[in-house]
Amino acid sequence: MRKVITYILLILSALVLFFPILYALSASFMQPQEIYAGKFLPEDVSLDAYKTAFERIPLLHYLNVSFWMSFFVMIGQLIVCSLAAYAFVFIPFKGRNVIFFSFLATMLIPWEATIIPNYLTVLNLGWVDTYMGLTFPFFALPFGVFLLRQHFMTIPASIWESAQMDGCSRFRFYLQFALPLSKSSLSALAIYGFLTTWNKYLWPLLVTNDDTVRTVQIGLKMLIANESSSSWNLVMAAVITILIPTLLLLFVGMKYIKEGLTAGAVKG
Amino acid sequence: MKKYWKSFIVLTALVLVLAACGGGNSNNGKSNGANNSSGDKTEIDFWHAMSGDNGDALEVIVDQFNEQSDSVHVNAIYQGSYDDSLTKLRAVGGSSEAPAIVQVFEIGTKYMSESGFITPMQEFIDEDDFDVSNLEENILNYYTIDDQLYSMPFNTSNAVMFYNKDLFEEAGLDPDNPPATFSEMTEAAEKLSEVTDYGFTMATIGWFVEQLLANSNALYLDNDNGRSGDATEALVNSEEGYAIFEWLDEMNKAGTFTNYGSAWDDPRGPFFAGQVAMYFDSTANVSSVIDNSAHEVGTAFLPSIDGMDPNGLVVGGASLWITNQVDEEEQDAAWEFIKFVTQADIQAEWAASTGYFPITPDAYDEPVLQEVYEEFPQFLTAVDQLEETTPNEASNGALTEVLPEARKIIETALGEMYEGKDPKEALDEAAEKITDALK
Repeated sequence: MRKVITYILLILSALVLFFPILYALSASFMQPQEIYAGKFLPEDVSLDAYKTAFERIPLLHYLNVSFWMSFFVMIGQLIVCSLAAYAFVFIPFKGRNVIFFSFLATMLIPWEATIIPNYLTVLNLGWVDTYMGLTFPFFALPFGVFLLRQHFMTIPASIWESAQMDGCSRFRFYLQFALPLSKSSLSALAIYGFLTTWNKYLWPLLVTNDDTVRTVQIGLKMLIANESSSSWNLVMAAVITILIPTLLLLFVGMKYIKEGLTAGAVKG
Repeated sequence: MKKYWKSFIVLTALVLVLAACGGGNSNNGKSNGANNSSGDKTEIDFWHAMSGDNGDALEVIVDQFNEQSDSVHVNAIYQGSYDDSLTKLRAVGGSSEAPAIVQVFEIGTKYMSESGFITPMQEFIDEDDFDVSNLEENILNYYTIDDQLYSMPFNTSNAVMFYNKDLFEEAGLDPDNPPATFSEMTEAAEKLSEVTDYGFTMATIGWFVEQLLANSNALYLDNDNGRSGDATEALVNSEEGYAIFEWLDEMNKAGTFTNYGSAWDDPRGPFFAGQVAMYFDSTANVSSVIDNSAHEVGTAFLPSIDGMDPNGLVVGGASLWITNQVDEEEQDAAWEFIKFVTQADIQAEWAASTGYFPITPDAYDEPVLQEVYEEFPQFLTAVDQLEETTPNEASNGALTEVLPEARKIIETALGEMYEGKDPKEALDEAAEKITDALK
């Protein structure tokens, strides 16, 4: 009995949380007039909005660019953050903690405050309209370093000691012990990195001028009119299309995110 | 063990490949960019902020230009909202990424004219003996500073009142004779709120207050709205300003007015659904209001203070600027494009597909625009309102770099008043804050 009530409550809250997405889906099948009239369900399910959205902006192409941008950032973050975290945990050097904490402190600086200096750097490097410009500034992520450092710290010191006794080099230990033992944290970081990059708008807008390297979020903004009314069914059709990859990733990766984010929580 | 080495090498290789294709792209980017000419045509970049249907309409015009011109090719690049695009322009100033033409909203006029990024439009006009007399006077007045035209108006609009004719009939009001003064509005709103939720609403957008002040022949800033010298003081808390705030406050307290929010789209849904009977919106939106409403839609002039003839409104929208960040050949190419878009037939097409005003009155004679006006006679109200505007300092509009900030301040004051603050107090504080911002 108690279980039934729990599940009813869970289903209800799931519906409440999921409502915006369900409504977006429903609105993408409606006519603009129906949306403005405040209806919840379309009278006729029409796929016109999807057709028009795909015609109006090169949505597939933008999806492709967004995918590669997010993928490269994900890979870059995994490599850079794991190497940095490894150094912070397994290589003793003077001022290690000071460096680590000042690194963490940069999390306090909002990304928006550094966006223009970063842009100027990218501009001077000639990386405008390139994947390098889109992805490179995101490779070093303090949150990622922190997450992995916490996880690496849970690896028992005895493993490290016996590995050294057997003549294992630092780099081999990184590849063969540290990384495989932190799969859950690495997957969590990978998913986190992919999703946040997928949702970026301002940075891709700044560093690209060419349609060949523009992302879905810019495409979405192109559909939203500013002074005149927007065709919300088009916008919602595009939103649903853009959501699909991220939702898939979440469904697949939810388990790892949960494991990974709590894995390092016990030992601080 | 080998497995991990392998995966590491693969990943590193991937990053290197990414770097390599990054490099390749950057070369492509440059050759596509503003600096080189492809074939015989000079290529120029045009940054704009037109999205949705308006973005499509702009693409059509740019394509038309590229097809008919043998010497110039324009790349239209969407740069997000007006704010986004201005931010980006500030960052690229002085670099090879700067565009030749940029579209900037009307309240960025003062900033742009003093930014050092631009070549005043007047120079091209004088050099080419371009005749500006066939452009709409009221629109030119806004963009003219010290008798110089700094930019070419492109998409212009002003505010108009939309009302629900069906609800007017239901409430016993004459649907062909909409209220024209503040007290008539108050009365109508009271009657209308008996047949529906609310009589009147206005999105909390500072622009509408600017329009109402102009319509009351009241100045926003001293020194003739900042046009005869730099503005030093806000004049919004004048008799007229108080009248506007008190009028809104009175209806709000009586429950015949409501505040749906501060976004353009906020009052539209309720109006389309017939929950509110009258609201202000941009003239750029006329056709979509008619399309989306289930009821018959009327348009009317913005109301004026009792016993006062409407003075007319300030034009809003945006203008095109030629930058001095590219060489002269490209600036001349930019001028070619700007001349093209001011032609009557192009302006008519643009106005017909967007709802903005054409900047040249000749465009009204073009069949494409006449057809639209026949289908939607509601457009004519907006056109009449523009033409009946008395050109003076009030209707030329305020000119200051801090206008975007002033707008936010006015919006905050409106919000505070709707929450119960005394209208005079709210407006006095707003005026003080704007004056501070001017210093």
